Amino acid sequence: MKVLQRVLYVEDEPDIQAIAQLALEMVGGFAVKICSSGAEAMEQAAGFAPDMILLDVMMPEMDGPTTFRALREQPELAEIPVAFMTAKVQPSEIAELKALGALDVIAKPFDPMTLADEVRAIWKHHHE
Amino acid sequence: MNENEHSQRIQIRLLALREDYLKRLPEELAEMRRLATQLLQEDKPAGTLGILQHRLHKLAGSGGTFGLPELSGYARRLEQQIHLWLDKLPPSQVELTAFIGEIGTLAELNMHTGYPGADQPPPSRPLAQQDMIHLWLVEDDRLLARQLVDQLTSFGYRVTHFCQLAEADQASAHDSPDILLLDVMLEPEGINTTEQMTLLPRLMALSCPLIFISARDDFPSRVRAAQLGAEGYVLKPIEVPRLVNRISRIMENRASPPERVLLVEDDQLLADHYRLVLEYAGMAVEVLQQPEQIAETVFSFRPELILMDLYMPDYSGPDLAGVLRQYDNWAGLPIVYLSAETDLGRQIQALRSGADDFLTKPISDAQLVAAVRVRVNRARELMAQINQDSLTGLLKHATIKEAVDIALTRALRDGHPVTLAMLDIDHFKRINDNHGHATGDMVISAVAMLLRQRLRRTDIIGRYGGEEFLVVLPRCDAASAHHLMDEIRKDFAQVRFSKGDTGFTCTLSLGLACTAAFPVDTGAELLARADRALYQAKNTGRNQTRTATQ
Repeated sequence: MKVLQRVLYVEDEPDIQAIAQLALEMVGGFAVKICSSGAEAMEQAAGFAPDMILLDVMMPEMDGPTTFRALREQPELAEIPVAFMTAKVQPSEIAELKALGALDVIAKPFDPMTLADEVRAIWKHHHE
Repeated sequence: MNENEHSQRIQIRLLALREDYLKRLPEELAEMRRLATQLLQEDKPAGTLGILQHRLHKLAGSGGTFGLPELSGYARRLEQQIHLWLDKLPPSQVELTAFIGEIGTLAELNMHTGYPGADQPPPSRPLAQQDMIHLWLVEDDRLLARQLVDQLTSFGYRVTHFCQLAEADQASAHDSPDILLLDVMLEPEGINTTEQMTLLPRLMALSCPLIFISARDDFPSRVRAAQLGAEGYVLKPIEVPRLVNRISRIMENRASPPERVLLVEDDQLLADHYRLVLEYAGMAVEVLQQPEQIAETVFSFRPELILMDLYMPDYSGPDLAGVLRQYDNWAGLPIVYLSAETDLGRQIQALRSGADDFLTKPISDAQLVAAVRVRVNRARELMAQINQDSLTGLLKHATIKEAVDIALTRALRDGHPVTLAMLDIDHFKRINDNHGHATGDMVISAVAMLLRQRLRRTDIIGRYGGEEFLVVLPRCDAASAHHLMDEIRKDFAQVRFSKGDTGFTCTLSLGLACTAAFPVDTGAELLARADRALYQAKNTGRNQTRTATQ
């Protein structure tokens, strides 16, 4: 199994960006790139060549699912595993997100000390 | 970097991010509250509800990450409530009103977090004229008490007198003084207050500075006073100026401004750590981001100490120290290296370039705070000795003259009047001759303390000559200055100095000059006018205030 190294996180809120960066980079030891919008992700994701992409669901303009579809259209990113991050907990909503083709859904608020473990577990599960 | 240090850094970083989040949170909650109240006035609240739902959703998603799970849960519940309303049935007025209350509850939840600082008592009150220092005097001798109250009041203190310790104890249930003055022996019951204090938990809990007053120098009482943490033990007959001196020193120590520290450290995380540690200790800290900016930063931030990493990628600590030492103004600014360098030879080498000291990493937080505080205090004392008169603690002749020029330039710029006041103690030579130089010095320091106590913080006070003082009153016209200074003159005449069994009083003469009357004067010219007004006051009977006129 390939070791998870590069993680792209698309999130519009600066507070969450900062703490996610800390959680993934310092705690998790990943190489992390943060994009502040779906549009920015479309432009920069391929260049970063992530192993995995984390997408916030509720973002202004392009929301998580829209960004997801747009990224899937780029050939370099078509196969890159994606997990959504959301504060929605309704099982129906989670099922919808998974139906789009996402690996999993990470619940917000996340614990900065364990977020990286959660991401790794999803990665491992995907490769089993 | 070892594992422990790494996780420590993560914790510190988390703490800082959390601090930022909590700083912004009240504003966000206030905005949500505002939106919620707006709902009642709207015919179709769907739009505002949508905005609120979005904001609640964000709060639900972020709160827990920053250590506020309760806030997250509550926000989520409110979000779902809105979701139902928008999806199915719009809310009734009653439901909306209840909802607004819930948003208020949400805002209050934030108040009860374990956030460091949220539960801490407010910072000690600053020393300001509007905020008079409040003294409690416990004294059974009514005559002495009245004299003390009168004289301390003329020094600008607010004094509350109690005859019995129990009365003070009762008052401490709902009020507290800045300083507690206690007579050691209270008659007729013969209560020794150094013994009784410990039996009165409410009084003890005031934890304000204590000064004891005593008729005799009795060693056991002194020891008990020391055990109670007393900051003064004054013998009768009380020399009020000496007592005032003690009080103002205690208050100054309490009100000393935060230490200003500039950090020069290329490791951002470490810099953040030091900054947090020093800020938690109450210091003002700035981190220098670009070494090239060091001169500008020192100029604008005016640090009292620079804490510098020895080895940095572009410029070394000694390089930067060397640059600073090229500026005359900063030749005395303490520079301390903070480095993992343990080789004594290399440490000494580094100090040659102009730094003062060396702290070796790793350093505990407590050590760092103590090391910085000790050095800043020492530097402050040194500066005070250079600029201040040793007897009065006021500015010296040269410094006060400089202050006149600065005040005049500033007045010219913002168009406010400045008034200069020259004061002189009447018949000072007679005091020296009759009572000795030590007593003369006491009178001089009494004038200084009275001025300091009664004038604004922005006023500048200097000792101009032997028994001559100069006061610069910015933003003050001649009439207000005359009123203010003449009140001080009258009060000073009431202060009784004791020398052995005999007591005496003395008076002041004053001369004023205001820029409004002499707009084109230089500092020296205006000073000369104030001086001439002072001599007019002297020549026409002393103990009065004269203002220079055109």
